[in-house]
Amino acid sequence: MKLNIDGLLVYFPYDYIYPEQYSYMLELKRTLDAKGHGVLEMPSGTGKTISLLSLIVAYQKAYPLDVTKLIYCSRTVPEIEKVVEELKKLMEFYEKMTGEKQNFLALALSSRKNLCVHPEVSSLRFGKDVDGKCHSMTASYIRSRKQQNPGVQLCRFYEEFEALGRQVPLTAGIFNLDDLKAFGRQKGWCPYFLARYSILHANIVIYSYHYLLDPKIADLVSKELAKKSVIVFDEAHNIDNVCIDSMSVNITRRTLDRTQSNIETLQSTIQKIKETDAAKLREEYSQLVQGLKEANVARETDVYLSNPVLPDEILQEAVPGSIRTAEHFVGFLKRLLEYLKSRLRIQHVVQESPPQFLKDIYEKVCIDRKPLRFCSERLRSLLRTLEIADIADFSAVTLISNFATLVSTYSKGFTIIIEPFEDKTPTIANPVLHFSCMDSSIAIKPVFERFQSVVITSGTLSPLDIYPKILDFHPVTMASFTMTLARTCLCPLIVGRGNDQVAISSKFETREDIAVIRNYGNLLSEMSAIVPDGIVAFFTSYQYMENIVASWYEQGILENIQRNKLIFIETQDAAETSMALEKYQEACENGRGAILLSVARGKVSEGIDFVHHFGRAVIMFGVPYVYTQSRILKARLEYLRDQFQIRENDFLTFDAMRHAAQCVGRVIRGKTDYGLMIFADKRYSRSDKRGKLPRWIQEHISDGSLNLTIDETVQLSKHFLREMAQPFRKEDQLGLSLLTLEQLQSEEMLKKITQIAHQV
Amino acid sequence: MTTSSEDVLLAIKRVRQKKQDGILFLMAERIAWTPEGKDRFTVSHLYADIRCQKISPDGKAKIQLQLVLHTGETTNFHFTNESSALKDRDAVKDLLQQLLPKFKRKTNKELEEKNRMLQEDPLLFQLYKDLVVSQVISAEEFWANRLSLNSVDSSLPNHKQEVGISAAFLADVRPQTDGCNGLRYNLTSDIIESIFRTYPAVKQKYAENVPHNMTEKEFWTRFFQSHYFHRDRISMGVQDLFSECAKLDDKGLKTMVGQGVKNPLIDLTSLDDQTLDEGYGVSSAPSSSGCTKSVKETSNTAIIKRFNLHSAMVLAAGLRKHEPQNEQNSETSSTDGNSRDSDFFQPPLKKVKLQEAIEYQDLKQENGKKTIALTLKKSERYSHGPVPVQSQPYTTSQDIINSVNYIKHEMDNYTPHLNHVLSSSAASSAITALSPGGLLMQGGAHQAINQMVPNDIQSELKHLYVAAGELLRHFWSCFPVNSPFLEEKVVKMKSNLERFHSSKLRPFQEKVQRQYLSTNRICMIKFENFGQWGLNDANLTGQKQPKQLVSKVQYLKIKEGEGLRNVDLLRSPKHLNSALRKRNSTILEMSANAP
Repeated sequence: MKLNIDGLLVYFPYDYIYPEQYSYMLELKRTLDAKGHGVLEMPSGTGKTISLLSLIVAYQKAYPLDVTKLIYCSRTVPEIEKVVEELKKLMEFYEKMTGEKQNFLALALSSRKNLCVHPEVSSLRFGKDVDGKCHSMTASYIRSRKQQNPGVQLCRFYEEFEALGRQVPLTAGIFNLDDLKAFGRQKGWCPYFLARYSILHANIVIYSYHYLLDPKIADLVSKELAKKSVIVFDEAHNIDNVCIDSMSVNITRRTLDRTQSNIETLQSTIQKIKETDAAKLREEYSQLVQGLKEANVARETDVYLSNPVLPDEILQEAVPGSIRTAEHFVGFLKRLLEYLKSRLRIQHVVQESPPQFLKDIYEKVCIDRKPLRFCSERLRSLLRTLEIADIADFSAVTLISNFATLVSTYSKGFTIIIEPFEDKTPTIANPVLHFSCMDSSIAIKPVFERFQSVVITSGTLSPLDIYPKILDFHPVTMASFTMTLARTCLCPLIVGRGNDQVAISSKFETREDIAVIRNYGNLLSEMSAIVPDGIVAFFTSYQYMENIVASWYEQGILENIQRNKLIFIETQDAAETSMALEKYQEACENGRGAILLSVARGKVSEGIDFVHHFGRAVIMFGVPYVYTQSRILKARLEYLRDQFQIRENDFLTFDAMRHAAQCVGRVIRGKTDYGLMIFADKRYSRSDKRGKLPRWIQEHISDGSLNLTIDETVQLSKHFLREMAQPFRKEDQLGLSLLTLEQLQSEEMLKKITQIAHQV
Repeated sequence: MTTSSEDVLLAIKRVRQKKQDGILFLMAERIAWTPEGKDRFTVSHLYADIRCQKISPDGKAKIQLQLVLHTGETTNFHFTNESSALKDRDAVKDLLQQLLPKFKRKTNKELEEKNRMLQEDPLLFQLYKDLVVSQVISAEEFWANRLSLNSVDSSLPNHKQEVGISAAFLADVRPQTDGCNGLRYNLTSDIIESIFRTYPAVKQKYAENVPHNMTEKEFWTRFFQSHYFHRDRISMGVQDLFSECAKLDDKGLKTMVGQGVKNPLIDLTSLDDQTLDEGYGVSSAPSSSGCTKSVKETSNTAIIKRFNLHSAMVLAAGLRKHEPQNEQNSETSSTDGNSRDSDFFQPPLKKVKLQEAIEYQDLKQENGKKTIALTLKKSERYSHGPVPVQSQPYTTSQDIINSVNYIKHEMDNYTPHLNHVLSSSAASSAITALSPGGLLMQGGAHQAINQMVPNDIQSELKHLYVAAGELLRHFWSCFPVNSPFLEEKVVKMKSNLERFHSSKLRPFQEKVQRQYLSTNRICMIKFENFGQWGLNDANLTGQKQPKQLVSKVQYLKIKEGEGLRNVDLLRSPKHLNSALRKRNSTILEMSANAP
């Protein structure tokens, strides 16, 4: 259908449209018009992605000079692939409607592991191995070595691409990861480098967050993207954590040991080169005098390791003299290492700020701030000069030098915590130095500054106003959309007590209480008897789940549940969990029904959807608060309070509720889907918790569904399920939650639609 | 009541029933009890009627055995011989244990099967009513070759769903304390079967050790004591019988994990695009300290692992039964070399799953019905259709292409000879003559018999026709008569046919004659034929049922070695009749020879 969104012709590849999709496009258009940033919350399963793509593609076509590129960031590989498939659908529709081939290039970019077609390299299991192996076959000095020594093994796909691929760039088409691979195989070109090259002139790029938010990668991949791009972060409810993760470093004793051996290797290599090819080292030295930037007209394949610091922070000056020669630099590294070792030999917890740390290191081993800042650049240069092929081995020394650069660059927003042992095991010495980023706005700041529109969107972003605060930006639009429903297909219930009236809660004081555990068990076993097909249950942490499962086992509750359904449990091992998941789906598929016990914040809760019969009910056991005793968290909370005026409790509750919402949101993936959402904790009925749930869930929680007993829950659930089991046809939806073009254009409907978006 | 031919397998004296002493007999097909001093059985149950037996617990003073019938009734036997009561009881129990399953399966299956067939096939049910209920032939005769016939091709339509295993089968063996520091587990044969099906490793152990190394009881005692059963107990390193099973299970789990998952959307290992390197990130707690896990934690992980494995095994046990069949199918179909071609048309799973994930059903205009994809096991058969067994030389696709080309060529070169065509007036008159009501189309008006005969007569006729066919089938299946049994059967069938004629056909004929003869000439002719049919059935069947006849003639041909060609048969009725005549004469001879 062709839509008129505020004067813009939008092709929408379906015959019907949800009212909220229309509303979403309106808001999005306003954001783009204002060339500002936006925060949009739209319920899952209401076709957010396709609305987004339809509008932005239309915008790009209408105003090719204002928006040159769409960069769509998603979290997981399957998500990325789904977006590309939706885009394909849209483009097919364009072609059908206009009758001509679209001159439009869109592609997905992923790590080498997902794109490599080299038979030997791609068979490696871990991403890091693939990267390392690839580097050892494509680095420029290795390729130049080939001329002298024909025995050097190179990647023929890269060679072919290097020879031919750049002259004929990809022009039009939608390339998913598999399409890129197929294309690469057919042409004999390396799909990874082809994709990296092509994103510069592509109309749409779809990749994961890290390519923009992790400075180590962003600098390589996304440096040259045009300013007039629109950036979309989908599933962005955890975006602050991604930002923080990419800037934080942990150093253990093992890291230091490995660094030690790295440095020794470096030293011996330098010695060797000195004997054979001293000119090379001299050349590097003179280059470093000139300044780093000039020295680094490096090839894309060489820049395997990049600066951990954000681009604008990198210095344009020459490398300080004290670390300019290779030997001096190695000596410098040794001193740094010894210092870190001494810091790890402690008996009590130390927390300090980066300036304190710099002061201390200057006093103890006379290391200045300036050479520290250049540490990672200098190491990069050295590794290149020494022509070290297998860079993956040097991850430890790279980590240390990255830490040195970070700690000397940022004086605010970071903290250093040195813990001599883990809290749980105070007898075993296991010292760790956490260099922890507390300010999620640091990593994302360049993105907001550089690109004209950044849109943050997800199914669960409530409360919306907290995101601009913690990411430190000023959005032009902030809206939350509700889900128009012809039938109430979601049923949130808050269970506050067992049939014995004992309050159930996962709060610390009562979580080990046998009555609470028993009531949780009763709830699950009662639900297993009445809910068809699949049930997913989430616990607050692995440890809590293990304990509960063990006591359920002892009490025979699990056996009772097994009478109704098969039980599968998430483990810490991803492969094992994947298998359990597959079996779970199989059991749902063949009618046996199954229960999946899983963990909030775990991989399942973040990446797996339980559509239709794969999840008819989800039970959230307890409120998934983060482990509050952690010092890193405490430091961050303190920082948030001081810098952004966010109270500790508000942030903790916000964090817990967004994870709870993520978990329960897994079951509803569309308007034809239905599912129970059971919050099994007394605390959910309090308005400060409830109020932080997304609006589309919140509005279905009636006063009658607060603080229920298990029996009442069963009654309400039975009623709900019976209602949902009635046939649901398109006619029931039409005009209410599903519109034809005519219906959409009616005055009355347009008025209604304005109420869907809830501006903050 | 008793037939002398029943062998007594076991006789136990001094067994009380309803406070009366007596003797308990176990015979080949039933169990019976006679009061002391009498010579007739007051209690007698066919094994097939017994649902199960129960025995009194070991420690009880009264040593009893209870039989529960399918009807729900129970019969108690009290063993009173002081010295050997327990032994007696156990002897009975063991024998029953062996006997009951045999009968159980047979009767239930057979009855169920018959019932199912009758329900599924209304035609058969009608036939059953016509022939058996009206006592033309007996039920056994009716089923005699039905069942065997059916069991041959039972693999396809008879695809019954396997009953799965309850996931909680181990929960049913909750231990009970027996009061003196011990635990009792109650095992039924169902539970044992469940255990075996779910854990093939245990079954293997059982086969290896019972009864050579230990008794059954000992085996299960050890099973329940083992670390294998109690997974939350950490193995103390004691070499128990089942440690190997545990190892096998772990290996199985590992291979399952190693195989990975087929659906890329749920593969958690490849979910993340770019994992942070080691050492980066906030929460990446160093997990290098593997030894820090407490005993409790490891036992908890063991429980979790165990549940995952158990559920997977139960699921697999439910599916295992189908697999051999599928394998067979694929094997047979792969003989023609292109069995796999059904896979070629299927897009890869990943693509399908992705499409599924992004599809919004309600947003789309539903265009027509959802079609079901055609999966072909052998595409060749589909494109060529069934061909007679002895067909002409096989037409290759090249031949077909050639002939198509030839026809095309002919068409291209075709030039109409316009002076040889009909004149337009002649053509239009021919068309009028051929239109309904035209000169040449008048004959068709009175052919609609089906409109003249009421429906009930028609359906009755149909039933009779089918019943006659069935009887004839029985009759013909006796040839060639090469055993006394068949001889007997031929005679019986002959009389059956006669009975059928007199009890069914004749009344029908009379009825029809009475009602319709005067009104409808065609009907009369038809029923005259029908009357003859009863007498000279073969001939008529030949005309009515060419298909069946051909198959019969084929059969005869094979048996008697007549050099008739199939194709000829199909072509000329003359051959057919002569063949029939010949055969009829042999039949007459044969029936004459029969005593």
